Amino acid sequence: MRAVLLASLRAHLRRYVAVGLAVGIGVAFVVVTGAITSATRDGLSAGVGAPFEGAEVVATGVDPRRLDRLHESAAADGARLSVVGSAQVPVRPEGGVGEDLFVGELPGLTDPPTWPVLVDGRFPRADGEALVDARAAELGPVAVGDTLRVGEDDAAVEVTVVGTSDPGPTSAANAVYLRWDDLRRFADAMYVEAVAWAGPGSAEEQGAALAAALGTRGAAESVLPAREYVDEQVVAANDGVDVLATMLLVFAAIALFVAVLVIANTFTILFAQRRRELALLRCVGATRRQLQRAVRLEALAVGSAATAVGLLAGAALGHLVVAAVRSRVPAAGLGDASAGPSWYAAAAAVGVLVTVVAAWSPTRRAVRVPPVAALAPDDDTRLTTGAGRLRLAAGVGAVSLGAALLATTVALDGEGPALLLMLAGGIVSFSGLVLLGPVVVPGLVRACGAAAARVAGPTARLAADNAVRDPRRTSAATASLLVGVTLTTAVLVGVASTRAVTDDEMAAQHPLDAGVTRTAGILPADAARRLAAVPGVARAEAVPGVVARVAGAGEVTVLAPDEVDDVAGLSLDPSVTGGIADDEIRLPASVLNELDVAGRVAVRVGDATVRLRPVIGDVTGEGALVAPAVLDRLAPQAGVGAVWIRAEDGTGGDDLAADVGAVAASYDAEVTAGLSRRDAVDLQLTIVTAAVVGLLGIAVLIALAGIANTLGLSVLERTRELALMRALGLTRARLRATLALEGVLLAVVATVLGTAVGVVFAWVGLHTIIAPVVATTPVVLPVGQLALVVAVAALAGLLAAALPARRAARITPAAGLTAD
Amino acid sequence: MTTTHLGTPPPPTTRLAAQARALTKTYGAGSAQVHALRGVDLDLPAGRFTAVMGPSGSGKSTLMHCLAGLDVPTDGAVAVAGQALHAMDDAALTRFRRDQVGFVFQAFNLLPTMTAEQNITLPAALGGRRPDPELLAQVVEVLGLADRLGHRPGELSGGQQQRVAIARALVGRPAIVFADEPTGNLDSTSSAEVLGYLRRSVRELGRTVVMVTHELEAAAYADDVVVLADGRVREHLVAPDRARLVAALAGPGATEVVR
Repeated sequence: MRAVLLASLRAHLRRYVAVGLAVGIGVAFVVVTGAITSATRDGLSAGVGAPFEGAEVVATGVDPRRLDRLHESAAADGARLSVVGSAQVPVRPEGGVGEDLFVGELPGLTDPPTWPVLVDGRFPRADGEALVDARAAELGPVAVGDTLRVGEDDAAVEVTVVGTSDPGPTSAANAVYLRWDDLRRFADAMYVEAVAWAGPGSAEEQGAALAAALGTRGAAESVLPAREYVDEQVVAANDGVDVLATMLLVFAAIALFVAVLVIANTFTILFAQRRRELALLRCVGATRRQLQRAVRLEALAVGSAATAVGLLAGAALGHLVVAAVRSRVPAAGLGDASAGPSWYAAAAAVGVLVTVVAAWSPTRRAVRVPPVAALAPDDDTRLTTGAGRLRLAAGVGAVSLGAALLATTVALDGEGPALLLMLAGGIVSFSGLVLLGPVVVPGLVRACGAAAARVAGPTARLAADNAVRDPRRTSAATASLLVGVTLTTAVLVGVASTRAVTDDEMAAQHPLDAGVTRTAGILPADAARRLAAVPGVARAEAVPGVVARVAGAGEVTVLAPDEVDDVAGLSLDPSVTGGIADDEIRLPASVLNELDVAGRVAVRVGDATVRLRPVIGDVTGEGALVAPAVLDRLAPQAGVGAVWIRAEDGTGGDDLAADVGAVAASYDAEVTAGLSRRDAVDLQLTIVTAAVVGLLGIAVLIALAGIANTLGLSVLERTRELALMRALGLTRARLRATLALEGVLLAVVATVLGTAVGVVFAWVGLHTIIAPVVATTPVVLPVGQLALVVAVAALAGLLAAALPARRAARITPAAGLTAD
Repeated sequence: MTTTHLGTPPPPTTRLAAQARALTKTYGAGSAQVHALRGVDLDLPAGRFTAVMGPSGSGKSTLMHCLAGLDVPTDGAVAVAGQALHAMDDAALTRFRRDQVGFVFQAFNLLPTMTAEQNITLPAALGGRRPDPELLAQVVEVLGLADRLGHRPGELSGGQQQRVAIARALVGRPAIVFADEPTGNLDSTSSAEVLGYLRRSVRELGRTVVMVTHELEAAAYADDVVVLADGRVREHLVAPDRARLVAALAGPGATEVVR
């Protein structure tokens, strides 16, 4: 049988292209996942340890108010000390716009520091000098020699930039590094990740010295060896990588599932075409067992070869992707792409296993052919029937059960095991749909074909007839595409609906496109006029206000918007600015937190004092809100407390913030960039959508290879029939059009069906995942995107048909017409 | 015309349905070269039933393919219904076949996905036309297919399938009908039936039929017989009797009558 196996492999090699593609892409996917994971892990591990280079012991949980004393102790002990952490402080370049940046201590474990790496200039040697992160400097823009104003008001300090640095991949990087004497004034506001210590003596002695310096008396701090701490951090960081790897592998699993469908269908078609050949082998004496072994070995050989190619392609692609990301997006902090042997072994096992599993049932059916089939005349008029009764019953049963599970999920409203039920219901109902495919899909193809026939005439009718001639094959070919389209649609609808909810949420939280206020100060009278002239600003409205002294919170700008429900056409949510009672003051959370909320607070301007009930109202920047009547009592001659801005449609949030910020800087005022924040959330959703759709695209790609292969094989099978059509007067162009239309019909039907199912899944998903968090979650259909999916699928169907159509057009009308 | 004409060959006409001059067809190149046709000159009169005979490899199928516009000759000229085929490109040839030629093949005559009626009207549909309903009714009646129109080929017997193919060949009023071994897959009863229908289409409907066959019984239904050998026309017999036909098939070198 070995000779048979080899001959068969040689003869049918080209027909295995789809199998090879499906397996190869799936395997490559796994290997690339391995490369990305290992690169991320490598980068993280290298980055996490860098700030602790040279430290012997580390303290965590350090109260920032102790840092000053700690530095003094270190100096006394002759030890070196580095605080890994940061304070978020406004930093303003000379003549530029202020921005909150992470400011931290210049690492002091060694001199000069081994981390971060100097890019330009030198390390600060004296107070008043600063090192700036190279990327932050680029954005600033700030260059060596520039002066920065760090902090505001009394706490501000002027520093000179003496160098720029590159931290490499780490989460501990700061935008600005200062020496401790410059930084100490912000110590209270610091978040301290850890304190690294390098002193004289053994590790134990150093630990004791650090503990002593901390004055630890059973407090929250803990002192541990630096190596141990870094290892802990690497493990924590790797948990994140594991999540990433798991997510990528979920998509790889989807792609491999689609691959199984494609491979099974390809083998079924191939063995159907070789029915006579297999029967002949049985005639000349091959046992069924021998035949079984031969065809399974054939499948194994194809799977192994494709797996090998997939491993190589995956390794190359993985290195390419990681190298590209490293050079283009250094911030991603990827290390070397070196997927371990276990990744390759797993990918290889998966590739071979997928092929063997997918070929199992087709090979079993193939060898059931009775030997006498070799002698029977070639029965080309054979039309296969659709689904058997058992399959039909199983399909209806599965769909019903799945629907019931999904209905239960919806009824649960996200409570209890809703998520598990949803997954089970989704998988069961989808499997039922695939089982019902031979009934559902041809019906849809016929309907679409009939519609197309009105435009394209008999070409469309021929295409539809051919597309449904083997209902099982048709439905198997579309099922693979159905998987990808259903999931894509579910994601698109889910994200669109989530976006609608978050849009409302963000609009409530950041109602102003931009607001300009001064902490404890009012704006010039012409501020609104000047801001209205800024590009992208549709309206700039002055809000009356005054600087008041709020007991317990110091000076606060108090604003009194006039028409509270619609401030000069800004269309604010009335719950935000509307209905301010005459006895309340809405304060930002940062101010409110310092007050005793229970009682009233005295608000004083000059001699006028009113006692008001403090309420949270953290939505319009730094100012506090009061009713106009209250402002009248406080200051009859109020100035411009704030300028509220609405942007023109289509204005970018960051552009607006920068342009408005430039004007605001001249008033020493801050900008509340609502539009920019909304844009940022929007961008996140867009990135998530793009990533998910891109990853699902790989499954769709495999499905299209399957459709192309189904069409290609059916062209081979129908050579005589196509020759007959050509003889009877079908032109070459029309023949190509027929096949192209066949591909398009299959793709469009799969897409339309997938869209319908995907919308239902999305609805259930929203009910299960989002609804418990946000009360009302209407399903929003992103009609444009969905239409794009259908259009892309149609185009892909056309592409999938391109090669088969070319092959079909090469058939000469005389070919295969004579039987002898 | 009436059935009384059955069995009486029509008088030879001077009008030509197809004409070939110095027709050459060569396949392959070098040592693998096969000369299927080596300069065929042939005039096929209209309104007659002509059989093309010859041993395997004599070039009968190639000749038919070239005459029907299914294949392009290597050299020489072909004219069918007054149109020069050798000057046409693929699209023009396709349209020519659709509008001027009817085909009946040995097997794979019908599209399995279509009903008998859809198969009969397929060439018209491909040309974006509807067939003449009267002619369609007449042809279906003559061929006894009235109660089979809704069936698919898989549900028809071999003889019925060939009758559907004949009906398809006739409803387009083609200038010429080519039949390639139309009885090759049939039993003797069905063969007689199919050949009878082909002859009736000449006698009663005035069609021109050219049939490639290697069966003497089939050729006996034809008016004229063209005998090919080694890619050349050996003889063009007009209304031959059986003895002459057998002698022609045996060739000039034969000294005794075959069979």
